[in-house]
Amino acid sequence: MWTIALNRLDEMKFFGADRSAQKIEMLKHIPIFHELTRKEILEVDELLHERIYEKNEIIFEEGDPGHGIFIVVSGKLRADPGHNLLKNAVLDFGPGELVGELSLFDEAPRTAKVVAIERTVTVALFQAEFSSLLLKNKSIGVKVLVEIARTLSRRARQLLLQEKHAPSL
Amino acid sequence: MKSFPQPGAITLLVVILITCTLLFLFQKVIWLVVPFLLALMLFYCLRPAVEALVVRGMRHETAAKTVWILLQSIMATIVLAVGLLFVAKAGTWQTDFNRYVAGGENLLKGTAGMLENNIPVFKSMDLSGQVDQVIQQFTNRFAGRNLLPVSLQSLKWLPSLLLVPYFIYFMLNDSARLKKYIIKSVPNAFFEKGLLLCSRLDATLQNYFQGLFLLTLLDTACLAIGLEALGVANAIWLGLASAILAWIPTLGSLIGCVLVVLVAATDFPDRAWIAYACLLLFLSVRMLDDFLFMPLTIGRKLRVHPLLSVLMLCLGAAVAGTTGLVLALPLFGVVAVIGETVSQVVTDRKLKARYRATRQLVPLQTAV
Repeated sequence: MWTIALNRLDEMKFFGADRSAQKIEMLKHIPIFHELTRKEILEVDELLHERIYEKNEIIFEEGDPGHGIFIVVSGKLRADPGHNLLKNAVLDFGPGELVGELSLFDEAPRTAKVVAIERTVTVALFQAEFSSLLLKNKSIGVKVLVEIARTLSRRARQLLLQEKHAPSL
Repeated sequence: MKSFPQPGAITLLVVILITCTLLFLFQKVIWLVVPFLLALMLFYCLRPAVEALVVRGMRHETAAKTVWILLQSIMATIVLAVGLLFVAKAGTWQTDFNRYVAGGENLLKGTAGMLENNIPVFKSMDLSGQVDQVIQQFTNRFAGRNLLPVSLQSLKWLPSLLLVPYFIYFMLNDSARLKKYIIKSVPNAFFEKGLLLCSRLDATLQNYFQGLFLLTLLDTACLAIGLEALGVANAIWLGLASAILAWIPTLGSLIGCVLVVLVAATDFPDRAWIAYACLLLFLSVRMLDDFLFMPLTIGRKLRVHPLLSVLMLCLGAAVAGTTGLVLALPLFGVVAVIGETVSQVVTDRKLKARYRATRQLVPLQTAV
């Protein structure tokens, strides 16, 4: 009980109004942000929405209209894709991995159901806010876009070669 | 930009009812609503400037402060200039006012005389005598006694208007943070819908105030071109003043019309047709404004059907008078977006089921 309370306190501290060095470090360890400078991370942080999902909680379901991406900070998410092409894919997403990246470019329906398989902390980036970031700060936009494109191409390549991979959702 | 889904008939009815209720309530706290709306309008006009500075590499806080300081400097300069002008003209204030009133009197008397000469019915009614009587009553009541109290009454708004810079400062600085905190309180199941709602609300308000700005420009241009063609001095300023006054529907338009006609009648005492032409011009611009410009700018920006725009204006006037006319369209736009999204969330069985399931998960997790 006490452990849970302390964990919650840590999370509250982590997501508090003051931007601690710990938080910047944490964001910097996320692959799509690791090219960003400290100042740029602070700017991106303004757009990120922190979400905590309990074990077995649904993040989104197949067919839901997608409005943004989720980045796992801690914990683990599992995808349950309905499409046969994705049956061979690695279905678990751990810290630093992206989920729902296809929705960052259009509002197409989600291609899989994603559930938290343990208590998971995520940060979400909304499509409209990401678009405004691309306009406001091209430098950040390019760095983040390159990382997302890298993830997408890696997953597409693995899909083409029928390797085990994390699916693009 | 994607167009918003159209709400269903029941949602629309609920939205209209909520808008009318809010209009009725807002009428009671108009001292707070007016500065908040002014601040909101300035915020949406200034936000592109803040964003432009951010694009050039400035941090958001610094850009917001820079724009705010610039705005305060401009506002302080305007207040100072108007104050100095007021003090300098204080001695001739009543004289100038009387000169314009006399110009209006002459126009009315001349018109009454002309009508009497050409239409016998008006002569038998003693139209000139009646007009004289009305003018005398107006002059005694308004110019003689009420000019000072009217000026003092308008000063009552001063403390309330002092809230405007305060509101703008926080809107420019913290609007994104506020949005983030509001979203934080939304349960996970409704998170993406909540974000979408916030985004749509923001777009609706921005579209409304952009529409209002465009409408003011169109009105100013039409009036200024017309007045300039008629040879009236300071055509642009008169056009601008009338266009800004038109933000207060009916009453504002009436004051703007009287202002323009009085100036024309005073500047051209021997050519009454110029004053009549100004009146005609003003009425034409009003008609264009109400039935073409407003539905095309504010109505279209808000994705509200022109017929619905007119209906809401009528309902707003009936429920809350002038306040209702001013607030009807923006409020309807905002309530329509909220109503449409809430109805989508409420009727979405999947989301509701997901929310119920999550509520059962949380205590289990805590008990472990």
